Amino acid sequence: MTNKFYNALFASGIAFILTCLMVGIKLDTEGTQLAIKGASAEQWTWIGLGIALVFLSQLFSDKIDAIFSKVPKPKLSNMLPKEQKMATLKPWLLALLIVGMLVWPFMVSRGSVDLATLALIYIMLGLGLNIVVGLAGLLDLGFVAFYAVGAYTYALLSQYFGMSFWACLPISAGLAALFGFILGFPVLRLRGDYLAIVTLGFGEIIRILLNNWTAVTGGPNGISGIDKPTLFGLEFSRRAKEEDTVLFHEFFGIDYSSSYKVIFLYLIAVILTIFVVYVINRLMRMPVGRAWEALREDEIACRSLGLNRTVIKLSAFTLGATTAGFAGAFFAARQGFISPESFIFIESAIILAIVVLGGMGSQVGVILAAIIMTILPELAREFSEYRMLLFGFLMVIMMRWRPQGLVPMKRPHLELNR
Amino acid sequence: MNKIAKKLMTLGTVAALAGAVSVANAETLKIGLAGPATGPVAQYGDMQKIGVMAAIDDINKAGGINGMQLEGVIYDDACDPKQAVAVANKIVNDGVQHVVGHLCSSSTEPAADIYDEEGVLMITAASTSPTITEKGFQLVFRTIGLDSLQGSLAADHILNSVKPQRVAVIHDKQQYGEGLATAVKTKLEGNNLNPVMFEGVTPGDKDFSALIAKLKKNNIDFVYYGGYHPELGLILRQSSEKGFKAQFMGPEGVVNSDLAKIAGKAVEGVLATAPKSFDQNAVNQARVEAIKAKGEDPTGPFVFTAYAAVEVMTNAMKATGKTDPFELADHIRATELDTAIGKVKYNKQGDLTESTFLVYKLHQDGSKTPAQ
Amino acid sequence: MSEFSLYLLQQLINGLTIGSTYALIAIGYTMVYGIIGMINFAHGEIYMIGSYVTFIVIAGLLGMGLVSLPIVLLIVLIVAVIVSSTYGWTVERVAYRPLRGSNRLIPLISAIGMSIFLQNYVGLSQGYRDAALPPQVVGGWTFGDPAVFEVTISYMQSIIWIATLLTMTALTLFISRSRMGRACRACSEDLGMTNLLGIDTNKIIALTFIVGAALAAVAGILLSLYYGVINPFVGFIAGLKAFTAAVLGGIGSIPGAMLGGLILGVTEAMTAAFFPAEYKDVVSFGLLVLILLFRPSGLLGKPEVEKV
Repeated sequence: MTNKFYNALFASGIAFILTCLMVGIKLDTEGTQLAIKGASAEQWTWIGLGIALVFLSQLFSDKIDAIFSKVPKPKLSNMLPKEQKMATLKPWLLALLIVGMLVWPFMVSRGSVDLATLALIYIMLGLGLNIVVGLAGLLDLGFVAFYAVGAYTYALLSQYFGMSFWACLPISAGLAALFGFILGFPVLRLRGDYLAIVTLGFGEIIRILLNNWTAVTGGPNGISGIDKPTLFGLEFSRRAKEEDTVLFHEFFGIDYSSSYKVIFLYLIAVILTIFVVYVINRLMRMPVGRAWEALREDEIACRSLGLNRTVIKLSAFTLGATTAGFAGAFFAARQGFISPESFIFIESAIILAIVVLGGMGSQVGVILAAIIMTILPELAREFSEYRMLLFGFLMVIMMRWRPQGLVPMKRPHLELNR
Repeated sequence: MNKIAKKLMTLGTVAALAGAVSVANAETLKIGLAGPATGPVAQYGDMQKIGVMAAIDDINKAGGINGMQLEGVIYDDACDPKQAVAVANKIVNDGVQHVVGHLCSSSTEPAADIYDEEGVLMITAASTSPTITEKGFQLVFRTIGLDSLQGSLAADHILNSVKPQRVAVIHDKQQYGEGLATAVKTKLEGNNLNPVMFEGVTPGDKDFSALIAKLKKNNIDFVYYGGYHPELGLILRQSSEKGFKAQFMGPEGVVNSDLAKIAGKAVEGVLATAPKSFDQNAVNQARVEAIKAKGEDPTGPFVFTAYAAVEVMTNAMKATGKTDPFELADHIRATELDTAIGKVKYNKQGDLTESTFLVYKLHQDGSKTPAQ
Repeated sequence: MSEFSLYLLQQLINGLTIGSTYALIAIGYTMVYGIIGMINFAHGEIYMIGSYVTFIVIAGLLGMGLVSLPIVLLIVLIVAVIVSSTYGWTVERVAYRPLRGSNRLIPLISAIGMSIFLQNYVGLSQGYRDAALPPQVVGGWTFGDPAVFEVTISYMQSIIWIATLLTMTALTLFISRSRMGRACRACSEDLGMTNLLGIDTNKIIALTFIVGAALAAVAGILLSLYYGVINPFVGFIAGLKAFTAAVLGGIGSIPGAMLGGLILGVTEAMTAAFFPAEYKDVVSFGLLVLILLFRPSGLLGKPEVEKV
């Protein structure tokens, strides 16, 4: 017990050092001179309470741990039905889910639909990065570069050549793939964290080039007035921009409602996401998908089995980039305006967090994590300026809570007991 | 005893209920405040918040608008264009019809699209990018001048009063800074004064010693800096350490007491184009004091533009007696309004028709005087 | 000397100054990586906290009327190192130690979360606004012909060099001579084996974080005095640069971090000297990619051995 007491004393001492200068004293200015002032009495009370809390929680850490260990950790895998039952249920569940996703937007508010669209963009990004990081085990910290390439491809083609969203979508994806291929070629012989920093560098280089190439990309001004997608040539705006464009609500003879546009964007995102999920799901079962995982698990064994690691890595990199290109083109369409500020490093970090939180390699996990990571900052709006503080804190907590990810990837496997 | 207690309790409940009803009767009008409350530019978002909240407090104290009390609702976009769209949709969703914001031009642009479509009146107090109003929105206004006006004034002053030999134009690679720098450069070139250097620096950077050595080597005697005060402050400070002496000039984004805090003595004599400083306006004295009393800083460049943005809305509401955004917009376009930044008049696009910029000389104590 | 060579010399001096501070921060990355193989993204934030402590203490002491610069700096050094090290230790204890043994990406994400948390924590407690401190150390030496080009070395620059040199020497001595240092080296060779040999590896890892944080605090003091402007986000940019420097020199290698920092600083200065300054970061990242292509483990890094 005395040991515990000293421990608790030590912890509260640490807490005191942490808070007394940074929270207890505030920088202030008097005229043009820097000065300090003490925090208010109320804040000192909070500091005191915090320190007391640390002291007590350390003193009784055994008991607290005991209480927490009684709270069962939710096991998502247990909630799912058994394997065989699953096989028969799965198509029905999927159908239900898809129908739900299609009907849902008509019942909720515009803000929620828009948020869901954003979540879908992150699902696509997460799935793309999941190929690179989760399946092939290549740490990529500059994923946002391909996202930017996709977005800028559509924005530029739309601005200079007036091309439609649907025509640009494959071009954006293709160009992002090309970038993935070109960037991937030289760097893939790097290992582990060296690859990470090089991809981070590429991400930054692309952003800075977009920012500096003012003549074409508009530099920091970005590109505005990007066309929204149309439904077979029908536009979703209140007023027609040009004489010959047909408006959706006029064509069908219904009243204009601003939510049509939002819902339409959402539906496009749903279709794109389903497409991406389907393709990647198939790829994972193909030899190339198996090869990715084999490479992640053991590169040397992989090579000794005659697999070409350059081809495998490049395919993962390129396919990941393609998905990001898709998401980018759609992002540009949703925003109607893009500038290099949307493609900063922290964006890459968030996408990576989605993949890791989801349980690397697991599609369901990534989808779930993408939804959480998009909704969380929005829910935290209630806490106004404490929003990002909470977001960072929860990122740490989630990693501690489920280090293996929300839904870790599982493969049926047999183990020989030695 | 028991009975009395019971009676008292009933009475109390009735009174409480009545109170609740009467509070609910006094309508509140929500004013959305969209800007960064978190993230690297939160300090500018703070200025906007200080201005808007001060305006709302003052108006509420004076009895509100048409019998309604105002309430400021903060929407944080972190200056992230993606979040700005989400915020705009949320504002539409929440039924808020009057928005002050956004702050960063890159957030204002995509958000303005949505507001105009959905019938929300938006007045930005900080976004200076010309492209925002170029699209001919009906409901989008600003209480801050365009870059082009300031740039040409600066160029005139350089050509007519300073008459330097070797000019460098530096900017911070952001919309505001580069826009201004380009405007200055174009006008100088049009008058046969070709800048020797035209370069960008990285915003948020701290080390400008390499740039300063380059300026020194090129024998620059005049530097125009397009951008905000932190970078110019560091450039001035490091210039004086490195013994580089030239005349510096900047836009209103550098006119801030922080500049003197960063650069100290080196600020003395720096030129800047700025609107008449609002926090020194006689009409704003009480407001400045009120803000100071709350422990906040009234000197930021966007404090009083944000204050004025609220005033533009509320003055129009008072005059028309309505809150409908379209009617307010018509009124704002048609009449001259009296605000914290002086009398404002709008053109068809929603830009200020005249913004009275002057050239000032800055001093090391944070004050400024009109330049000759 | 000709104008060109003087100009080159001036840019070299500028580059070395900024490079030595990169090196100080980079050491924190490299030590942690060398021992537990993780990228501590929150390290830049520790540097930022060191800067804030510097400002607070200086403002406080000046407010109390203490003006003797050496004494002020000494107090600042002590307080900043203590507070930053405490933060470094706590971050490790709270965000990384519970995750030891899981996939190496898990602590990385935890670190990114921690970094976001600390930025906003300081932002909320000290304000997001730039805080500025007037120059405390003014003046410098100049040489060269004023008519051609004058080279200046400010006193502050020389202080940065000397302080960096002293800190680096102390660290090298600590790592190579002391018992703790030897334990650190053992850990970086083989963590599991060191543990088996009866060394409390958790303690050594905590020590690594404390030493790294102390060096970041020194960098924080030097840079906040040199530039005089800080905000809660300075750590992020500096951290990214320092991380680049650490990888450039070969992550896990302490001399590598020093070399990497200096090379990065000089590259930046030279790029800004001869090309438009906005391409500074493009060139430094480009250089990094190039070096890694030819030396995939950085300049002084140990080539990774492929184990079966």
